[in-house]
Amino acid sequence: MLREGRQVDVVGLTKMFGALKAVDDLTFSVRPGVVTGFLGPNGSGKTTTLRCLLGLLRPTAGTATIGGVPYSRLDDPIGTVGAALEASSFHPGRSARAHLEVMALGAGIDTARAPQMLAQVGLSEVADKRVGGFSLGMRQRLALASALLGDPEVLVLDEPANGLDPAGIAWLRQFLRALAAEGRTVLVSSHVLSEVQQTVDEVVVLSRGRLVRQGTLADLDSGPREVLVRTPEPEKLRDVLALRDLTVVGADDSGRLRVTGGSTQDVGHAAFEGGVELHELVAEPSRLERAFLELTEGDET
Amino acid sequence: MTSLLRAELRKITSTRLWWGLLLGALAFSAIQSVANAVVAGMDPGGGQGTMPGLETAEAVRSVYPMAMFSGTYIFALVLGITGMTGEYRYQTITSTFLVSPHRSRVVVAKILAHAVTGVVYAVLGLLVVLVAGGTTMAIRGYGLGLDADRLWVTMGLAVLAVAIWTVLGIGIGTLIRSQIAAIVIAILITFLIEPLLTFALAAADMDWLVKWLPSNASSALMAPGDVMLDYLEWWAGGVVLLAYGLVLAGLGVVLSVRRDVS
Repeated sequence: MLREGRQVDVVGLTKMFGALKAVDDLTFSVRPGVVTGFLGPNGSGKTTTLRCLLGLLRPTAGTATIGGVPYSRLDDPIGTVGAALEASSFHPGRSARAHLEVMALGAGIDTARAPQMLAQVGLSEVADKRVGGFSLGMRQRLALASALLGDPEVLVLDEPANGLDPAGIAWLRQFLRALAAEGRTVLVSSHVLSEVQQTVDEVVVLSRGRLVRQGTLADLDSGPREVLVRTPEPEKLRDVLALRDLTVVGADDSGRLRVTGGSTQDVGHAAFEGGVELHELVAEPSRLERAFLELTEGDET
Repeated sequence: MTSLLRAELRKITSTRLWWGLLLGALAFSAIQSVANAVVAGMDPGGGQGTMPGLETAEAVRSVYPMAMFSGTYIFALVLGITGMTGEYRYQTITSTFLVSPHRSRVVVAKILAHAVTGVVYAVLGLLVVLVAGGTTMAIRGYGLGLDADRLWVTMGLAVLAVAIWTVLGIGIGTLIRSQIAAIVIAILITFLIEPLLTFALAAADMDWLVKWLPSNASSALMAPGDVMLDYLEWWAGGVVLLAYGLVLAGLGVVLSVRRDVS
């Protein structure tokens, strides 16, 4: 069943903490039916933006709305927006089931949904265990279960992959894609592009509280790719390549030469003609991570 | 509102703290009750007057409702404080406000839920003092004294007073969000500053001021007619006590509605 979905709109959002401008005139929107990555280094304003969207922080200026309505005016808040925030913690003495039951009772949702949600995120076996003994990965799953409790049309997840093992990340990826395929709006923040690279369709990239890019993942991935080549005769190869306008621009960590100006075919052919022995010849897998770092450069302190 | 109230009650019962506080309250009530029954009618010597014996209504009231109140109210206060500060300490306030962005409703639901729990504490406490104090009185050869003058009215008022002290705790917790600080400050005020102030002001013949302090307002609520101090009327004592709780909680509501949650 396809849902009607609701668009998330952030318009001119600014949030000051004292003299610090955490979010600076930020404008972007998030469409239903796709997974949108909300990317930026730690401290770039992602969590602050999400907390403004959820009515937990009061914006200094601008608006953040869900289907045109601010969170605090939604008729059925957790039935409309499901949120799992990085810092959203649990009472260590309360069981996973009780945590969900408290939320369900407050929202007028049948408490029978609590064990169902725990089953969905793979926490059935520890449903009645106190959360104090949970690993970070288990807490992430419980946070996700809380977000799904109201069967919301919009999901807002802050760093959901933090603390998940590779199997957990693969599981999360499937899960989020399935939710978006049902027509839901899914916004996932991360400071590590590779974590969400295979999950997201669109990206919103933030740097120092400002928007630096919104578009599809493919947009970010545009530009020429480099060819990586391993040879026992680097000097000879450099000369041979130069004859065909191929340039060695450096070497990667494992000693492979980085070549620009042509494809793997061009480089392979040049080496063959010049009689240079090659041990490895591949196209650079993706410029994405580098593009991301360039966009957000200078953010990390 | 009903759903928020149910959520708040589930919050209280889903951790073990309320059990611990209840057991503490029951133990203290029992000890206080037995002690009051033992010393009743004794002559402390040193020229002081003899304490009222167990044949008087005053002594019977001290064995039952007064003992329950003095054994329970501090635990009720701590229950109220932690009910609010725990949300900030463990950051569960985030999911609480996500479920209900109407923050003032959350605080009202909390006040009601904790007042209900305070009533449960007090009623169970009364059962305990009836057994512990009653047994002690029987051992000393007196009757149970259940027909003593104003006994049942005082019991009802003592239950009300305990409930109000939990509300007072919520009020303190909304103002002072640090759990440890809130508890330490509340207990210091109740156990040290208030009694000292009462003593000092009473010594300076300023009873007109002393009677407005929270503990003395509680005493007024439960012990009409006892003349150690110039207490307020019993109903006025209740109103004053409730006003303390509601004013504190009201301030807390106003602050929490505007406050950023991060």
